[in-house]
Amino acid sequence: MNRRAWNLVQVAATTVLVAFLLLPIAALALTLGWRDFLAGVRHPLLAPALRLSLTTSSSSLALVVFLGSLVAWWVARHSGPLSRAIEAITQLPAVIPPAVAGVGLLLAFGRRGLVGSLLARHGYGLAFTTSAVILAEAFVSAPFFIQAAIAAFRRVDENLLTVARSLGATPFRSFVRVALPLSAPALVAGAAMSWARSLGEFGATLLFAGNLTGRTQTLPLAVYTAMETDLRAAQALALIMVVVAFAVLLVLRRMYREALGA
Amino acid sequence: MQIEHGAGADVLASADERQLRLLAAAGLTDAPRVFARNEPVIVVPAGNPAKVEDLRDLRQAQRIVLGAPEVPIGAYALRILDAASTLYGTGFRQAVEAHLASRELNVRQVLAKVRLGEADAAIVYRTDAISAGDSVLAIPIPKEVNAVAEYPIAALRSAADPALARAFVDFVLSPAGQAVLGRFGFQ
Repeated sequence: MNRRAWNLVQVAATTVLVAFLLLPIAALALTLGWRDFLAGVRHPLLAPALRLSLTTSSSSLALVVFLGSLVAWWVARHSGPLSRAIEAITQLPAVIPPAVAGVGLLLAFGRRGLVGSLLARHGYGLAFTTSAVILAEAFVSAPFFIQAAIAAFRRVDENLLTVARSLGATPFRSFVRVALPLSAPALVAGAAMSWARSLGEFGATLLFAGNLTGRTQTLPLAVYTAMETDLRAAQALALIMVVVAFAVLLVLRRMYREALGA
Repeated sequence: MQIEHGAGADVLASADERQLRLLAAAGLTDAPRVFARNEPVIVVPAGNPAKVEDLRDLRQAQRIVLGAPEVPIGAYALRILDAASTLYGTGFRQAVEAHLASRELNVRQVLAKVRLGEADAAIVYRTDAISAGDSVLAIPIPKEVNAVAEYPIAALRSAADPALARAFVDFVLSPAGQAVLGRFGFQ
């Protein structure tokens, strides 16, 4: 293929794909009048759902990043069947339909669940609480961060770690001061993917946490609830959600570029 | 909404009277006719852990699941709670809502929570309670506070074969069609 044809193929592919990805989102905005949008801003479900979505998705992100980094580091630094098995297990939730994940969470942590029944005996209940929302989001979003972290940690040059160790750094210190800064851009990108997946989480949350304003009704659930009566309101809420997600992703991109510069 | 956007269908039977009325008003369907009636009941898991014997006892269930007010079964549940508040005292609805774990978006999800034992009590239709067999126990709601759900049916003007669509509607409304519905708990 000559250079001209190759360029043309790339331009065509970009045009088709970008149009396909952008069109449904643009349709949300373009088919909605200002009046409808303002009515959406004032919708009674919006404020509690927005607050809940931001707090739960950041909590699940913190959980996933903290535990996920440690797991990914171990997996990246070890070979063998156990390491491969753990890597496969951390990817499992990505292929399970979210509603199925919700049923699984309920059967594990619900009142009569494998672990939940033990908790219930001590008076604790996880299902249908805000904690259940965070767990559902962590479950579905963990694979995205962990996969990015494993790939990044594998690229860390073993020689640099050896040098750090020879200069007297403990394994923990060489992880924090060498591996983490070197992997920062990929970790931020993985965290952004993971956070976006949490924000959009619907199926697992609906089944495991239920749908109660202020406690478990996140933005996607509020959109779906509004859709039962008023498509315009649902559309306005969906659009606000897109705007919020876009704003947070812009902030994360900025962090990504700073991480690259550092 | 899917009908408005051109989903291919010949007959529409809905639990939501309002939706069909809107479509009929827009000239998309024939005049809707009521083909079945259903009645909300309380369901509790087999074994009745919260010992709910009647509507008044609903307050003592630790975890209650209802439909969202946006869906028919949730709207009926609110109406029942309000009516019951005039009977059992003004705090009745608040006392029940204080134990509310979730407002589900469809009645099958409400039922599922009871079948799994996650909810101590819920309000669903009698037909749903029957479909769950022995896994749940249905407790009737007193007539004076209960609501009756009426299900309308109508042939769509855009049906591929309008005569066939109308014939189906007529069959559903005939004694034979009504007998089938009766077996599943419709009235």
